[in-house]
Amino acid sequence: MSNKFLKNRNSCDCMLEDDLKQNKDFKNLKDDYSISTSKDEGEIIIDPDVEKISLDFYQKKFTDGLPIIPPTKKRVQKFYQYSLGDPQELLAILPPLRGKASREKIAINAVMAGCLPMFMPILEKTIIALSSEKFNLAAINATTHPVAVATIINGPVIKKLNFNYKAGCLGPGNLANATIGRAIRLCLINIAGAVPGIEDHATLGSPAKFTYCFAENEDESPWEPLHVERGNSPSSSSVTVLGVEAPLNVNDHRSQEATKLLDTIIYTASTPGCNNSHVPGELLVIMSPEHAHTIAHEGWEKKDVKKYIHENAQVPVNLADRGGRKLDKKWFKKDMVPLTRKLNDVIVIVAGGPGRHSMVAPGFGTSSQSVTLALDSF
Amino acid sequence: MNPLAESKVNILGINEIAPPIHKISFFNNTKPNAEIIIQTIYAHLNGIEFILSEKPAGAPASQQELKTADKGDIVILALGDCGSCVTWLILDAIRLEKKGTATISICSDKFSSFARKLAQRYGFKDLRIIEISHPLAGLKKEEVEHKTLSIIPKIKNILNIS
Repeated sequence: MSNKFLKNRNSCDCMLEDDLKQNKDFKNLKDDYSISTSKDEGEIIIDPDVEKISLDFYQKKFTDGLPIIPPTKKRVQKFYQYSLGDPQELLAILPPLRGKASREKIAINAVMAGCLPMFMPILEKTIIALSSEKFNLAAINATTHPVAVATIINGPVIKKLNFNYKAGCLGPGNLANATIGRAIRLCLINIAGAVPGIEDHATLGSPAKFTYCFAENEDESPWEPLHVERGNSPSSSSVTVLGVEAPLNVNDHRSQEATKLLDTIIYTASTPGCNNSHVPGELLVIMSPEHAHTIAHEGWEKKDVKKYIHENAQVPVNLADRGGRKLDKKWFKKDMVPLTRKLNDVIVIVAGGPGRHSMVAPGFGTSSQSVTLALDSF
Repeated sequence: MNPLAESKVNILGINEIAPPIHKISFFNNTKPNAEIIIQTIYAHLNGIEFILSEKPAGAPASQQELKTADKGDIVILALGDCGSCVTWLILDAIRLEKKGTATISICSDKFSSFARKLAQRYGFKDLRIIEISHPLAGLKKEEVEHKTLSIIPKIKNILNIS
């Protein structure tokens, strides 16, 4: 039992946090926390109450179905050290429950999700962003549509907190991506009241509702990152929230020209079953660095990419008029309906590692607008 | 520690319906078959003037849309038969109630419980919500008319007309 987790166990009920204090810097710890296949190294002693509390919380519908870390007072208080204000301060009222989102409640849900205390300022800003009127959280939480909340991180905070913006950034394996996305979902369940089948009426739900947080690959992007495009300085950090579906893959290994590659993207995006087909709105395009460079190599700027997608991602009228809301003729372009209303509805992010796959995620139609807020504390 | 948040609720009262009713405003959120429901109700309320207007489902009505709908003695909103459309049917009904106009919201029975809880959280526990049998979307016109006929006596009762 030489595991360093065990050595720290008696000093605190949050071993990982003790380690963080002693080892100065989270980023440099990442290899230490990789559990090898060795039996000894993989063995972890847990508080005997953890399972009981986790099950109790599950039965009370406080969880996403996965085990949680019990939010003891001691654990929650550690998050206050990184919070930007008083724990009882109200940051937002979240619908449909009209729950009071205080810093304390956010911290409790963050502990449950497995977040580190230093993630707290990001969570606070994300919750404020979600409460923006134009985001329309009331509908996003209650809808039968499988819209999820995607959280995109930009700026120096990406490396400071070791977000994954490279290979597998939308998948498992990274603490910041996984737990921040999960904490947001737990806040929606416990503060906003979006309990599946009770206040979250999604007909089928979505795996994207477990966690959906990633960072932009600014290092390998040929274009300005999202937060700069939205008026922030490159040296600042930001969080952006979007109401979007789970992403759909765009496999294009062969296109060597910008328009051909973008055609693969627009034909993948132009599906009649998405909300945008009858109520045009935002469309998230997560472009891999290789795809982005193929396009940029021909001199295309980001605005050119957005313009091409905006003008060409469309659905035939006869297939578009099948959604919940009546298709308004004002959207018609002859016998087609565009997925987006304007150029800036096309949100282009560069993310991911090597390979020729991008992704698209339709939004919640006209009913929700993404929100970007600066993370001043990073 | 408890992860649940307390709700912020300010209790408010709904507006009285003062007979006689001269003008009813129908607020159609364009959900499938909402128009048939409205037409069926309209056909069974004799001698009353009507206003027809539209609002988006799943999103708030614009100020202009609210203003247009607000020209009746009472506003009947249809249709709440999913999560987001119920949300903004009820929240727009509440916006009209706050302006001093009485409302009736028509929601399918699969979502009426949510509609009532939502109204309560926004301070209007007595908001008038009439249940219609779910589903409404994907049905033929005659089926929707048949379901609508069952709620007309309730509407007449609320309006105090025969």
